[in-house]
Amino acid sequence: MTITTLSDWTGQVGTVTLGAMKADGGTRSATVTIGGERDLSFIGTPPTGHRPLIAYELCDDPSLWPAPVTRFLGDRASDPAEWARWAGEEYTPDLIRLFLTSTRKRGFSDFASVTTTVENVLQATGLPLIIEGSNDSDLDSEVFRRIGEAGEGERFLIGTAEAGRYRSIAASAMAYGHLVIAQSPIDINLAKQLNILLREIGLPHDRIVIDPYTGALGYGFEYSYSVMERIRFAALKGDDDLAMPMISSAIDSLTVKEVREADPSVSDRISVAWELYAMLPATIAGASIVCVRHPSAIQPLRAGIDGLWSAPAGKGGA
Amino acid sequence: MRMDGLSGTFSYEETAYHLPVTFALTGKAVHTADEARAAYHATGENPLVACECLTAAAETTGGKAPPPYTGFLPDAVLRTLGYSLVDGSILGLVVVAGTPQSPDAAAALCRELQEKYMLTFLSGGIVDSLTGAGVKVGAELRLVPLGGRPFSAIHFIDIIARVAMMFGGVTPGDADRLLAYARERAKAIAIVFPGLDEEETAVFDAFRLLGIPILSAGEYEGSEWIRVSAPEAVRTGMDLKGIKVSVTAIPIPMACSPAFEGKSIRKEEMFVEFGGGRSPAFELLRCRPAEEVEDGRVRVIGPEIEELKEGSAVPLGIIVEVAGKTMKKEYEPVLERRIHNFVNYGEGTWHVAQRDIIWVRISKEAVSHGVRIEHLGKLIAAKFRMDFPDLLDAVQVTLITVEAAVLEAKKEAEKVYEERDERIRGMKDTDVDTYYSCTLCQTFAPNHVCIITPERPALCGAITWLDGRIAYEISPSGANQPVAKGRVIDAERGEFEGVNRFVKKASHGEVDRCSLYSVMEYPMTCCGCFECIAVMLPEVNGFMVVNREYKGDTPSGMSFSTLAGTIGGGAQTPGFAGISKTYILSDRFLQAEGGINRLVWMPSALKEELQGRLVPKLEGRGLSGLFDKIADEKIAVTIEDLTAFLAQVHHPALAMKPLL
Repeated sequence: MTITTLSDWTGQVGTVTLGAMKADGGTRSATVTIGGERDLSFIGTPPTGHRPLIAYELCDDPSLWPAPVTRFLGDRASDPAEWARWAGEEYTPDLIRLFLTSTRKRGFSDFASVTTTVENVLQATGLPLIIEGSNDSDLDSEVFRRIGEAGEGERFLIGTAEAGRYRSIAASAMAYGHLVIAQSPIDINLAKQLNILLREIGLPHDRIVIDPYTGALGYGFEYSYSVMERIRFAALKGDDDLAMPMISSAIDSLTVKEVREADPSVSDRISVAWELYAMLPATIAGASIVCVRHPSAIQPLRAGIDGLWSAPAGKGGA
Repeated sequence: MRMDGLSGTFSYEETAYHLPVTFALTGKAVHTADEARAAYHATGENPLVACECLTAAAETTGGKAPPPYTGFLPDAVLRTLGYSLVDGSILGLVVVAGTPQSPDAAAALCRELQEKYMLTFLSGGIVDSLTGAGVKVGAELRLVPLGGRPFSAIHFIDIIARVAMMFGGVTPGDADRLLAYARERAKAIAIVFPGLDEEETAVFDAFRLLGIPILSAGEYEGSEWIRVSAPEAVRTGMDLKGIKVSVTAIPIPMACSPAFEGKSIRKEEMFVEFGGGRSPAFELLRCRPAEEVEDGRVRVIGPEIEELKEGSAVPLGIIVEVAGKTMKKEYEPVLERRIHNFVNYGEGTWHVAQRDIIWVRISKEAVSHGVRIEHLGKLIAAKFRMDFPDLLDAVQVTLITVEAAVLEAKKEAEKVYEERDERIRGMKDTDVDTYYSCTLCQTFAPNHVCIITPERPALCGAITWLDGRIAYEISPSGANQPVAKGRVIDAERGEFEGVNRFVKKASHGEVDRCSLYSVMEYPMTCCGCFECIAVMLPEVNGFMVVNREYKGDTPSGMSFSTLAGTIGGGAQTPGFAGISKTYILSDRFLQAEGGINRLVWMPSALKEELQGRLVPKLEGRGLSGLFDKIADEKIAVTIEDLTAFLAQVHHPALAMKPLL
């Protein structure tokens, strides 16, 4: 049976381009484009829209990073620039997602380090970047201004905007030409509302990527899956305020008990499995960017996405 | 004339916007004296262009202004500034120019500006006055000294021009967009002390074109500048541009978010309820003069929550009084309808319907957390200020819980409702080519779409076509959107291509067709807020209408609440329609089915309510006598009794084309 479509959709997911090369004022060696779907994921031969991408997540303060990953990485985790270069070259993700975890420590005040870290990572890799700043409204203004400034013209995807605190992130995107991750806590109505708020502040829809928040498998993933599907349905039915591509991160997958307490001899295998089995279904639910932290999860995830993408018609269930 | 003496080439450094004001107005990159003169003439000898060209020439030949003056600010600084404006860490921009007579007064003024998160630019003698009075200046202190002469204030305008191009999407050369952006979006004011000469005065006067109010704390005669004393300058200026420190948290012991909007409070969960036919209740929003409204004031007249019996029904009057410079009386009904959303935002409060048929509940859980009736008022007042910061300056709420007082205030409210309904009367659907949608209820009924026309108000009765238009004006991305009628598919049923297209999209693909004037074929969907329900009665070849307030049985065999449960939730149910009371009076009522001749039954209270308007209307249409042929519950509550009555009075419906 060949599935071509499930319905006569009237809407289409918008496209978003991340990263900028020299001609457009950036320094990236490539740009990537996501979105554009006119149907559910992986339906049609070839499927509509752009193929889902993999972002590799790293941070500038590994003490706030899951232990199975830092164990695997060893010393590399102490320098975000080297970490980004190495991961980019060895594991070839499509994007690097840098979490400025240093800003999340109590009493953070070294704002100059934000600029330095972002600049160093820009130097170390040519991949388009996603940058995650502080999550404290007292710090946001300064942190996001510096992120925006340090990457002016690079077309970063910056996160994470939430209903209560989105102004600094939107301002950074508008002032320095970046894109915004708009996150809502597994709630389609709040996702829509935030997108409207961002539009009203002056950020166009083609510069927003929705993060519906992704729980770990068995710890709420099914809710995330369902809300991603509903957001995609809304987009395909013509709701422009929800017609943005989505990003999903296995952010909770490496902190669940089963991974945390796994025997060190199988820790890597377990970590990869937990990330893989959350992120592959997320692409089916509609995510355009999926994120992992264990570098060994990148290749199997890519194989899974490629398999779904280019499965020949009629063999989908084989 | 000084423009004639201009020579050589000139430019500002570190900007991609050339001479920004000139560039924004003309789209031309000016770098030579001849180009400058051409631009000056092309703009009708705009003094801002002249001032900018002369200033740029002077800064090019004479070098940048000496410290502490900044002169022209590079683009990088502008980006940071724009960031702070979007981010909300700066609320607005002020330029202060001239030489104050009292340095202390000027110092106090600048301190006030700093405290109110305004970014202040200083131009002329004011800088010396401030440093003389011991005030430190500098960009980091939000006091930016542009230059020692008032002409340097042109840099304030080049900042606004660049912000418009960087953040406002204004294309260089699109002078209209620039002016519109400056007027509507730029939160900028100018405060002028004495000491400006004639030329300088002309330049400042040109600021008004950009919607920048000029507050004069000096002796400038005969101009359209606003005279103020120094201490009142900041407040007056901020008021004029609607700049206000925003409300961020609502001080009530209950969470408040759209997330709770769709949550019902069931009878078992309820501590107390108001209205819903169990007790008299109404809501009313009025626009008042500013001096009569004290922002945030909430009064409860009558018993508070601790004096009420658990599980009881209590009378309630919600009176919201608002003031705002741009607030208009026409906006009242649209804003009033928002009370519905706001009360539902409360985690433990619930609201349905509108006007004098509201139904409100407060949950036991909320009361156990300390929620009182006054918090309803606090919630409403704060949400109005948060959601309409540009429209409303002050909101006060009065809640009445004493029956006698509620009844008396309700009489007044009913007069206001009547005046509002009067305004729309006389307009025809054929007079306009745009209708308005309402999807306010989609939180409860996700696929429901109301289409509001001049002759068919929203089914809740609270939003007319005019209200829809105004709501769209107030918030262009809100729940009321313009709907282009498009080609007529069926004039009798009122089916239009444009309406169908809109309904399909807004109903998320669930509803393909919608007839505005038919109950039988593709009727409009129903949310749950309808004032009345029209029901087809096949036995008598006609329709009955029952209103929300009527609690008894009807000839359809179902009460209002049973019917409401059957047809609500966003479904399209042929044979049934949610309608407003005034729609019964409309020429479009039941048009596809043969008009009001089909109406066979209404509750007596509804008949009485409409009688004054309906009887003349029927006479006008040559249907005198029909009113008395419409039965009510005193005549018949069963279909058998109704059939007998209609036959006896020779009701016209009996002889009409069969409905089925």
